[in-house]
Amino acid sequence: MTKLNRRLRQGLAFTVPALALATALSGCATAPPKSDTADYQAYQQLNDPLEPANRVFYTVNDKLDTYFMKPVAEGYVHITTQGIRNHVGDFASNIGEPARMLNFMAEGHSKDAGTSLVRFVVNSTIGIGGIFDPAASMGYPETDTDFGLTLASWGVPAGPYLYLPFFGPSGVRDAANYPVEWFATPMEAAPASGALSDFGYSETGLHLVNTRAELIQPIDQIKATALDPYATFRSLYRQSRASQLQQIDQRDNRTWPDWYHQPAQ
Amino acid sequence: MYFRRFILGAAASVPVLALMAGAAQAVTTDQAKSFISDSGNKLVAIVNGSGSESQKAGQLRGLVNQIVAVDQVGDYVLGRYNNVATPAQKQQFQTLFHQLLSYNITYQIKAYQGVTFTVNSATQQGNDVLVDTTVTAPQKAPADVGWVVEDDAGQPKIIDVIVAGTSLRITTRNDYAGVITDNGGQVSALLSAMQSQISKISAAQ
Repeated sequence: MTKLNRRLRQGLAFTVPALALATALSGCATAPPKSDTADYQAYQQLNDPLEPANRVFYTVNDKLDTYFMKPVAEGYVHITTQGIRNHVGDFASNIGEPARMLNFMAEGHSKDAGTSLVRFVVNSTIGIGGIFDPAASMGYPETDTDFGLTLASWGVPAGPYLYLPFFGPSGVRDAANYPVEWFATPMEAAPASGALSDFGYSETGLHLVNTRAELIQPIDQIKATALDPYATFRSLYRQSRASQLQQIDQRDNRTWPDWYHQPAQ
Repeated sequence: MYFRRFILGAAASVPVLALMAGAAQAVTTDQAKSFISDSGNKLVAIVNGSGSESQKAGQLRGLVNQIVAVDQVGDYVLGRYNNVATPAQKQQFQTLFHQLLSYNITYQIKAYQGVTFTVNSATQQGNDVLVDTTVTAPQKAPADVGWVVEDDAGQPKIIDVIVAGTSLRITTRNDYAGVITDNGGQVSALLSAMQSQISKISAAQ
């Protein structure tokens, strides 16, 4: 309980100022008149009523990234090999498997939930704590989901686009993923200890730097070639989420026994 | 009354639609695969070739104009602003778009030194074919890249590139629309932004 309270306080300490800042700056974009049909339709389709505030956060995050995250990631690339970075990625991905399993169960994708469970068990043991990914070569490739996609599978619409301070591109529905991800880690199940907390912080930090390192070239390319990087990242984020959802639906294999009966055609 | 008009309209449009369908010839999956294989080999030969960077950039610009239906992609990217732009603006847009597309592709030469690729499969999607490839470059994780191929005056041409579920032409369309809407719906603002981007890239090369 104490540990949960501490995690809650840490989470709130991080997110409350961000949300307060977001509210303070939440200037709304002015919608075009409904009589201007094409412009009004485009505005509705864009679904970014908080664009002025979102653009402010984009600028802040961009500065933070340029002067802090990117130099750190470049230093990290300098002292590591692609192989090491792949193993760090595998390790972080393995820690996320239990959360993926729960999300797949909530989405009704039992086979994908089973895949996540097998991956976590195999990679945590044979894969030496998740540093290696032997499960993939055993026929259990990595699959991706999160609480935002779970809500989507329940029919919750994406809602307006949000560019969150520190976190980046998101949406009203997808932002619900952050508190869930914060708590749904295997470390939560272990007894509280200072060493475990330190491990959690180190793992989160390393995962962030490793992910940023993998994105150095694509992000540089977008910033160098896009005329409006904010609009480009918004488009890429939305397309990417739509593609993730589509992949989950397409991979919706039937189970044996057939737990989810389909209605007769 | 409305129903009668609908039926008459539908009857009148059928021959027009049939003509349009006849005009747009479908590319077969085999044609699209061999086209992507040939184009990819040419691309890899230039990127991994021994010429200087500016020579390679020139060669790539020529190749892009051969294998990409640039005018069609440009029309798609300008989207609904095709109806707003004047004929002179449309022409200027196409000229700038040709230049920017080439520059954006050549921007990646350094990053993809040592690139190899394999053609995996091809799927018919209406008149288009989506060809899946795997692109591998040193110090990078292999990337699945999809190429959408369409018939352009009897020749297969690339009209879109799909990476991790994201379409290059949709992204570019939204990027350009962002510039126009931020400037009160003025297409001239987009043309100025494209011009200044070209000047910036030219100065850097």
